[in-house]
This record gives sequence, C-alpha cells and structure tokens, in this order.
Amino acid sequence: MTQMEYAKPRSFKELDGIFESAKGPLRFIAGGTNVVPDLRAGTISPRLLVDLSGLKEMAYIREVKGEIAIGALSTISDILASRVICDKAPLLFQAARHLGSPLTRNRATIGGNLADASPAADTAPSLLAMGAMVHTRRRRGKERTIPLDRFFLGPNKTILAKDEIITRITFAKPKDPSRGRYLKLGLRNAMTISVASLAVSLEPEGSSFGGARIGLGAVAPTPVRAYLVEKKLASGAMDPKNIEACAQLITKEISPISDIRASADYRKRVVAVLFQRAIQAAVNGGTP
Amino acid sequence: MPEKQHPANDHPPVDVVGRSLPRCDAADKALGNTKYAEDYFLPGMLYGKVLRSEHAAAKILSIDTRNAEKLSGVRAVMTAKDVPHNETITRFGQTHTVGGFEGLYRILADKKVRFMGEGVALVAADTPAIAEEAARLIRVDYQPLPGVFDPFEALKRGAHRVGEESSNLVCYYKVRQGDITEGFAASDVIVKNTYRVPFQEHAYIEPEAGLAWIDDDGVINIQVCTQVIEHYREIADVLGLSYNKVRVKGTWIGGGFGGKEDITVETYLALLTWKTKRPVKMAYSREESIICHGKRHPYIMTYKTGATREGKLMALEAKLVSDAGAYVYLSPWVLLYSTVGAAGPYKIPHVKIDARTVLTNNTFSSAFRGFGVPQVCFAYESQMDELAERLHLSPLELRRRNYLRKGEATATGYVLEHYAASPEAAEKALEALGEKTKSKSPAVKIGRGIGSSMTSYGRMVFLHDTSRSYVGMELDGSVTVRCGVQDLGGGQASSLAQIAAEILGVSMADTRVFIADTALTPIAGTTTATRQLYMSGNATSMAAKEVRKNLLDKAGEILGAEPGDLDLRDGIISVMNDPSRSVPLNTVVRACASSGISLFHIAQFNAPARELVDFKKGQGQVFPDFTFGTHAAEVAVDVETGKIDVLKLAACFDVGKAINPQAVEGQLEGGTIQGMGYALLEDVILDKGITLTPSFSEYLIPTSLDAVDVRCILIESGDGIGPFGAKGVGEPSLVSAAPALANAVRDAIGAGIPDLPLTRNAS
Ligand SMILES: Cc1cc2nc3c(=O)[nH]c(=O)nc-3n(C[C@H](O)[C@H](O)[C@H](O)COP(=O)(O)OP(=O)(O)OC[C@H]3O[C@@H](n4cnc5c(N)ncnc54)[C@H](O)[C@@H]3O)c2cc1C
Repeated sequence: MTQMEYAKPRSFKELDGIFESAKGPLRFIAGGTNVVPDLRAGTISPRLLVDLSGLKEMAYIREVKGEIAIGALSTISDILASRVICDKAPLLFQAARHLGSPLTRNRATIGGNLADASPAADTAPSLLAMGAMVHTRRRRGKERTIPLDRFFLGPNKTILAKDEIITRITFAKPKDPSRGRYLKLGLRNAMTISVASLAVSLEPEGSSFGGARIGLGAVAPTPVRAYLVEKKLASGAMDPKNIEACAQLITKEISPISDIRASADYRKRVVAVLFQRAIQAAVNGGTP
Repeated sequence: MPEKQHPANDHPPVDVVGRSLPRCDAADKALGNTKYAEDYFLPGMLYGKVLRSEHAAAKILSIDTRNAEKLSGVRAVMTAKDVPHNETITRFGQTHTVGGFEGLYRILADKKVRFMGEGVALVAADTPAIAEEAARLIRVDYQPLPGVFDPFEALKRGAHRVGEESSNLVCYYKVRQGDITEGFAASDVIVKNTYRVPFQEHAYIEPEAGLAWIDDDGVINIQVCTQVIEHYREIADVLGLSYNKVRVKGTWIGGGFGGKEDITVETYLALLTWKTKRPVKMAYSREESIICHGKRHPYIMTYKTGATREGKLMALEAKLVSDAGAYVYLSPWVLLYSTVGAAGPYKIPHVKIDARTVLTNNTFSSAFRGFGVPQVCFAYESQMDELAERLHLSPLELRRRNYLRKGEATATGYVLEHYAASPEAAEKALEALGEKTKSKSPAVKIGRGIGSSMTSYGRMVFLHDTSRSYVGMELDGSVTVRCGVQDLGGGQASSLAQIAAEILGVSMADTRVFIADTALTPIAGTTTATRQLYMSGNATSMAAKEVRKNLLDKAGEILGAEPGDLDLRDGIISVMNDPSRSVPLNTVVRACASSGISLFHIAQFNAPARELVDFKKGQGQVFPDFTFGTHAAEVAVDVETGKIDVLKLAACFDVGKAINPQAVEGQLEGGTIQGMGYALLEDVILDKGITLTPSFSEYLIPTSLDAVDVRCILIESGDGIGPFGAKGVGEPSLVSAAPALANAVRDAIGAGIPDLPLTRNAS
C-alpha cells in the first residue's frame, strides 16, 4: 500500500527543515477542502502532506497604510467576520458569501482557494478586480510578490514552485468600496460551482469610468481580467451605449468551455448579462 | 382469516389517531441516538469491498486474483465461479407467480460486464484499506465491446445485445380503448409533443450498508438498510440454503425512495460471511452508491392529445420508451405503472398507448418514488397546459372539464370505486398560492402552474399482496406490536403504534413496535408502492380489534354490561352512558390472563386480488385504489439568464384520513421538494455508459436555499381503503410537482419546455 507521510510545521524554520529532508512529491494542505476530496478520489497521491495550518502567523486580516493584507490561512468565515473586509473591501465579502456552505467556509482558506486555481474559484474575480498581489515564500526565506493576474497558468496550475507557499494576499484599499459588485451564477442557490462569475470595481472620475477593473470566473481556463473591456469602458462615456458595446466585447474576450454544467454559448451570453447588471448596480448603487 | 378485508370505519378515531403526535422514532433521531446500518460493529468483523467494472460493455477474458489473495489481511476473494448459484431467474418481489415479470439476477459479472459499476469480484479483509488495496490488485482482463446506450438504437436490428437474449426489448404493453382515429377526427384541437426525462438518483442521506454474521444456530444473519427484508429468500437461493437459514433484520433507514428496494449489499455480505465464517461489514461510498444502484427510468414519450372546442378531451395516443439500463430488475413493473397511468386523472373516450422498455449498457433503472408515473405525469400535464392555451381556457378550467369522478372508467376500463378528489384538490392547491407575486424587474417574469395526478397506493392486485401484524397486550397494560415493516424514515413504524394505541385505548408512550426482522416479526411485505400504512395499518388494526374484543368481552362480564356499550380509553373501560361504572384496563388484563383468554392476535390483511390484465388491450383493474391530488407552483424566471427561482409551492392531496397529520405533511413536503429537484436540477449524466455525475458536486439536488415552504393542504375524504379510511401519500406527493413547475415556467416565458430538467442552457 502506498504510504503517505504527514508533517505539520509550527514555524517557517520548521517548514524549511521539512523541505530539506523531503523525498518525493509533497503537497500542502491548509483547510483541506480541495485536498481531502482529491486524496480520496485518488487524483493526487503525494508522498508527503505538509499541513500549513500550524503556521499561525499566516492567519490575520489587517489594514496597514491604505493596504489590506490577508494572511493565506484566513478562512472564508474569517473574511466574512472581518470588519475591515466588510467595510473597506465589500467586493471580497460578496464573493466569500457565495463560496460553498457554512461548513466549507469554516475550513476553506483564501490561500487554498487561489492555489487550487480552479477557473471558478470564488475569491479570484474580486481579488483580480481589486488588483491583488500574491506574496510567497520559498525555502530559506526567499520571497516574491506576484500580481494575481499573472499567478494562474491553467486549470489547477499556478506559477508557484513546488516548495513555494502563499503567505498573504494584499491589495490597495478601494477608493470607493460601494462601487464593487460580485455576481455569481450557479445552477442552484448555494453549494454551487460558478457557471459564470464576474466582479467589477469602479473608480469613476467625473463622468468617465476611469479605473474600472473586471475579474471573471469560469469562462476561461483560469480566472481572468477583462483588459480589453476595461480599456473600452475607460475610453468611453459612462452611458448605456458604452456599456452595451462593452457587453458585446466581453463575449469576445473570454474562451469558455462546454461541460456538464453549462455550454460555452450559454456562458458567453450570461457573462454579458452579468456584466451589464454589475456595472449598472455599481454606477447607480443598489443590488443588481 | 376474517371475512371482511376492508376494516371499515366502525371505530371513529377519538384520542390518538388523527393527531400530530411526536413519532415514536423522533426523539432518538433528533438526539443522534438512532443507529443506522453502518453504525453496527461486531468483534472480529471483516470489511467487504466490491470490485466494480470500469467498462459499460466488455468481455471478461480473465480474472487473476492471486495478488489480492497474497496480500496480508485478506480473508476472502470471490468471483462468479465461487458463488454457488450466481444466476437466478427472479420474479422480483413476487410472492404470487405471474408471468412476464422475471428477470435475471446475477450476483457477479460472468464472462461479460453490462454496465459500469457492475460487481465483478468481492473481497473481505481485516481493514477497509486492505480490502480496497486487494480490490485494486485484482487483475481483470477486459475486451471492450461497443455497447449500446440509447433505447432506440438498442431496438434496431443488429444492435449490440446487452444480455444473452436475442433482443434488447424487455417488454411491450398496450392499452386500447375506443378508436383514436374517430377521437382525433372529432377533435378541434390536437397537440403533439415529444418529451424526454432523465435518469434520477435517489440521493438518500444514507448510502447502502450492512453487517452479516453466522449465529450459534448456523443461520446467516444480515442487518441491513433495506426496503425489503423479504429478499432473504433470494439470498438463500444464491447460497443454496433453505429459507429458514437466512435471517434479514432491517435497520432504521436514512431514506429509500425505491433505491433500497432491490438487493444491494445483502447477497455480497452473505457470501463473504459464509465463505469466511466471520462477521463482515460493507458500506458503499457515495460515489459507489451513485454508480451502482438503479435509477429512475429515463423516458422518451410522444404524446398526441385531442380535444373539442368546448374543452372535452377526445383522444390520446402515447408512445413510451424507457431505458431499462443493463439488467431487467423492476423495469416491467415500472413500465406497467406508466402504461396504466399514461392518461392521467382524465376521462378520455379514445386511448391508444404503446409502451416499451429496452435494455442498454447504461446503469440499470428500477424503482424510484412514483414508479413510472412522474414521467408520464410530466407529459400529460404539459399537454394539458398547451391544450388550455390553444383553447383559451385556464389550465384549471380545462382540467375541471375532464377530471375523472367516482363511478367513471379510466383508460384501462377500471371504474373508480372511491372518491376522486381532483377538482377540489386543484382548486385548493391553486388558492393556497395566495396573491400573485409582482416582478421587480422587466427581466424577471412570474408564472404559475398546476399539475394533477392520480397515483396508486398498494401493489398491483394480480400480485395478491398480503401483510401480517401481531398485536399483544402485556400484563402491565402496555401494548406490543410486531410487524415486519421496514421504516424508511417516513413514520411507517410510528403509524402502527398510533393505530394500535387508538384501538386499545392506551397512549403512544405505552405502545412499542418491533419491526423488520424475518425471524421474529410477522412478514409484512415491502415498504414500497405506498403500501405500508394501507396494508400493515389494516393488518395492525385487525389484530388490535381482536384483542380489544376480548378485553371488552371480559370487562362486560365484570361490569355486567353489554360489550357493545363499553368504551375503552386512557387505560379505563367504562360504560358509555354511565361512566361511573368502570374498571381499569389492568384489572381486565389480569382477569383475561387468569381465565386463559388470549391477549394477542396475528392478523393477515389480504389486498383485493384480481387476475392478470391482458397486455394487448390493457383492460382491467391493476391497482387497489388511487390517491388524487394537485401541486401548484409559482416561479420567477430571469429571461436573460434563464435562472428559475421557485417562489411558492403548494400540495393538496386527498389522504383519506391523516393518521398523523404532521407525518403526512412531512411526506408532502419531502415529495414535493424531491419532485422540484427532478424538475429543475437532477440529471444523472452518462457518456457511453460512464457516469459523469458520480458525486454531489456534479449531481445537484436542491439545498435548503433552493427549497421553499410547501403549503400542504390535506383533504380527508375518509374514502380510502386503509385503516380509518386512509389512503397512501408517500409516492403521490412527488408525482405532479415537476409538471406544476414546468407549467409555471411555461406560463412565465410563454413557451413549453419538453425536457427535464428544465435547464436554462438547452441552447
Ligand atoms: C463542499 C465544497 C464546496 C465548495 N464550494 C466552493 C465554492 O462555492 N467556490 C469555490 O471557489 N470553491 C469551493 N470549494 C473549493 C474549496 O473549498 C476552496 O477552493 C477553498 O478555498 C480551498 O481552501 P483550503 O484551505 O481548503 O485548501 P486545501 O484543500 O487545503 O488546498 C487547496 C490547494 O491549495 C494548496 N495550498 C493551500 N494553501 C496553500 C498555501 N498557503 N500556499 C500554497 N499552496 C497552498 C494545496 O496544496 C492544494 O493544492 C468547495 C469545496 C467543497 C468541499
């Protein structure tokens, strides 16, 4: 029988030690809501499971000098309970509310959600729309900072090296938190994997869309930013005509697939709808 | 056996029956004390595991078990050649022999596999991990076969043969009533559509599990979550043992819905314990459960319905084809239910129905709550709404003009002997929706729909169904019921307690029901076909009345009164007109005991028995009686995304008599929501026989945020043939929910969708 070893470092130093002595493929585990089902299904079979949940210094949410920092071990429930997120980054709050069920949210971490790199990961579109950065650490304290839009490489593929962990996620505090909207369309009202999801964050400048940012989920091999649409939005007026034109453009910027949940064609159509609704709500206030 | 087979309402309920008393199993379940099949352990027990086919259609060239056998901790590895009688021709669930319903029951695949998930080998080992590893070490050499996955393809000449028979057609039933050519000629409006409905998974909370051991008497004991403890006979046949050498004891069940009607783990457990002489436990994982047990049959149904300008239905022509999957199991029966139910609760003079069920290399289909009726109900109710639209009549009005009433004949020529509540139920269900919700956005359209149904309760009358129950009064005045019912969570046991308590004048707390043991409880038949309250309720009522009679006779002696003038309640027997003359029940019990008067009785209730109908014309009585009712739904459809939100659901059914109103409402709510899942979400997707939805992450059922409060309205006509005039409601509660929702969506968007589930991206 294949044996799997388990290690639970309590500090980065212990983690480094584990890296030094590890033989064969290792896998990190945080909340385990992706890893445990994968282990059970036999789709992964690491020699060593490294449990990150003992690295308590990675569980925090704070605001420092206009920047919001979320430790990778923060659970989705932590995010929902955080005053900082609720008041200053409600776009992430909206996304967190849609992830899984209360049971899932109590275990699932934000670091795991990004590292798992599902195209449908619920926190990704909002974090993309807020221009988030991923901070990582490799053995012997080597650190780097990766813009989230360069972090995902494909379904369940990221830019992380085998011995690299996410330590925190940061983004600048949105100028106008009330201008963020996350819309998720799944096949049912809870415990549902997105068929399409979209986050917009607006920073209107006068009568123009200015710094509009759009993150999309489940419509491409990874969560993506809709750069072309952002540019077109910003270059035009804040009027229905521009929004309509951008809704057309958005279907061209994505490459959805057909699977058991939905057809590619359906995904294209509804992304345009989600886009219009989210923009309108962000401009006018209120719920879409 | 007593003459009267329908215990009539000679005992109007007083104290216990008709009240929403807490069920006898409720407190333990709420506290988490109830043990389910997987919760039992025995010292020294082994863990069983089934190796399942990864192919939907393949020849088995060879099976090499040597490596598995060599693994330390492995106690048995079995393949088809180790099973004493690996193949039996079974008349699934029959006690009375009728032809045309036999199927092959094959324990382990032999020479070929017919579906993905079919059992190929068995392992028993010291731990679950060793058992799994051993299963992995078994080498099966397959030669894949093309297979056939569509029932129409399977019917073609030269199609891949799923079984050993010369054709994939399992059976073909017909109904011929009047002359449809004439009927359509007399119709002003004719509506024709083809409907498709998917496989549905039972998705019970508790996957299949059991524990088996050999007791001191050499009897094989199997403790298992099953709807049918009577499978002990089939299990004994497989082992070549006499029927009294196998004992099945049913546990409390975390949901059955028909999925635990066929044998699941029992035979495997019996074989492994017989081989190893040690206790063996087996529990399926969720994925295994979804892959290997029978599903609701997908149907393709072509319906042509004609009506006059005045809205009188004139003719119906229906062609039904169902996908039986890889083995016959209960497909012929399910098809018969569909055939008999195909015209719905309507009076139609000219009817022609052709129904076929066909083998394919898909997961087999079998029993599922509603048993072939939800499929046809979706079709005939969709037809009704399209007709109503064409005739400029409201859906309710069109139905009102066509509902069958008592004394009228169904399409199969059976004259309804009991109250048919359809008009009343439809009006009340619709009314229960209250004021129509207003849409808050131009993209969101609100719609309403109803679905009416007529669903049998009790098994087909040609099966000559029976149930037995023991009722006894203990010396301390408490009551014991022994009855072989399986309790699926629907309150089957508790209702019997309520009935016995009522008749014997004691409280529920003083009544104890022992259930589901082939060795110790009288055989009560299957918990299927909405039959237990009707069948075992009647048997229990009959037995309790015998005990009551002896008590009242004795009390009459003591009080110097006519037994007919006595009243028994709250543990006291008194003279009805003069309550001051009374005697405590305990005193009477002791007096009976010392004078040798029996205080127990075993009664057998026999359902009405009829001859088998002729399947070329389909005329005659097939069921003992029907439950009539209507679902009503209000939905909001987002026309830009296709998202359907269910706003309101109502269910109104004539339940005859609600023995326990809260338990009845529980059935109505559960059935309605399960029907909602069927309408909106649930779909077992297979690609060339391979299940693409093997877990709850792909196979979606409604969550609590998708469900709404179901407004339940109970009609109590008292005209059922169960105890106290009760009818059955377990299955009816699901049947018409899907068409009510489909019709609500039609109302909202102005077009009908002929396929379930009502997915938004049917592109
Ligand atoms: C029932 C259920 C419902 C779900 N619903 C949703 C949903 O609606 N939306 C959604 O987006 N997701 C959903 N998920 C998926 C999952 O819960 C999330 O992706 C979750 O955020 C993963 O976090 P985790 O801590 O459990 O990760 P784990 O399972 O512990 O890890 C996930 C992956 O990330 C890696 N990893 C974890 N932490 C780090 C780190 N700090 N650095 C580097 N790599 C790391 C692991 O090695 C692994 O590859 C659901 C899961 C379940 C079981």
